[in-house]
Amino acid sequence: MFSVPSLRIACLNRAGLNPPRLLRNRLPVPNAPTGNSSCVSTCCHKKKGTWHGNINFRGLGKERGLFYCNNAVFSLRSCSTTEVKLNCWKCKQLLVETPPFFCNSCQTIQPPEERTSYFKIMDCDYTFTLDTQKLQTRYLQLQRSLHPDNFSQKSVKELEYSESQSALVNKAYKTLLKPLSRGLYMLELEGMHLDEGTDSEADPDFLLELMEINEALAEAQTPEEANRIGQDTKGKLADLIVQIDAALHKGELHAARTLLTKMKYYANIEEKVKEKLSEFM
Amino acid sequence: MAAAAAKKCLSPLALLTRRLSAPDFITQSNYHQKVVDHYENPRNVGSLDKSSKNVGTGLVGAPACGDVMKLQIKVDDQGKIIDAKFKTFGCGSAIASSSLATEWVKGKTLDEALEIKNTDIAKELSLPPVKLHCSMLAEDAIKAALADYRLKQHDGQQEAVRASN
Repeated sequence: MFSVPSLRIACLNRAGLNPPRLLRNRLPVPNAPTGNSSCVSTCCHKKKGTWHGNINFRGLGKERGLFYCNNAVFSLRSCSTTEVKLNCWKCKQLLVETPPFFCNSCQTIQPPEERTSYFKIMDCDYTFTLDTQKLQTRYLQLQRSLHPDNFSQKSVKELEYSESQSALVNKAYKTLLKPLSRGLYMLELEGMHLDEGTDSEADPDFLLELMEINEALAEAQTPEEANRIGQDTKGKLADLIVQIDAALHKGELHAARTLLTKMKYYANIEEKVKEKLSEFM
Repeated sequence: MAAAAAKKCLSPLALLTRRLSAPDFITQSNYHQKVVDHYENPRNVGSLDKSSKNVGTGLVGAPACGDVMKLQIKVDDQGKIIDAKFKTFGCGSAIASSSLATEWVKGKTLDEALEIKNTDIAKELSLPPVKLHCSMLAEDAIKAALADYRLKQHDGQQEAVRASN
């Protein structure tokens, strides 16, 4: 039985793709709602016998099916496909931007919405090919407004929100910047991961080739030799990027995963080349 | 104050200076020692003649971390492993796991080598949960080497049968 004084509730409805979010307990102030969200949901089930009364359901304005949920803990197993509409925690106005970093009405910083895709955050198309210049510009633009240094004079809550937002933007930028991490993230969004254990589908000839490259690199006596291997690897990586883009474009996830696995091996070699070259210096 | 002390305990630097009295601290420092030992004093690094009929070669890769591991065994006519060599390109835990694997298979029969489990390797090296897949890789490398040897033997026998016909 929960009896938490004040909570912010948001319902996530995205065709059942995302698991339910548990409500977060903000700075508990007795009897003061810290935030409201209006949820449009066609079905909403409570977690097995774990919530405590105190729910106010009231229709809001013209929209049918909207309700505010105050002072209750429950996780929603939502199965509707309508969009989440969040309200500003301060002025309660509806947030219109996606993702809503700041409230349109009162300009207050908002906490990051969980499970927003990095592509949405960085305002990039959901494709493997990405304009890294545009990404960088967006990154700098976002950090200029979100960085905690700008919130040192504001409330503790706003500072906290800016810290989370800024950290999330950092993570999104880092993930989308490199093709390997970008591709793996895209697979992750589709529910696919790289094998944790041994590669059961590995091509033995490919592994042999990797062994030979690694051995050659380890035995390289001059920076030129190491460089040659480096250039070779770069070429292979460039090739793979083209193939991965094609596979993801066609939605061939298994093919993309195999290619990304290959990319991982070559990326490791690239790292070792850098280490080797620094040894020579 | 207890919380601050606990936080300090988790810092690796603190481990070096604090007196290690609790059992899990001892485990942590042992892990470092054993894995580092294999890394700094590698045993059985190298290659065997791949084309030899008595040599089985296991080549495995781990996609998540991009490690590659090669383990080779040399088997005598009695079915006993008399030599083993490895080459691993990956993290310290992967190198230590494969190094330990070559140490363990030496002197064992093929069936005994098949019994080696990744959990044994992980326990011996005190691998943390995040590195358990390295020991799994080593076990798979052993099995791959054994399978390769058996295949060669099988092919060899088939050839002998054909030759005698």
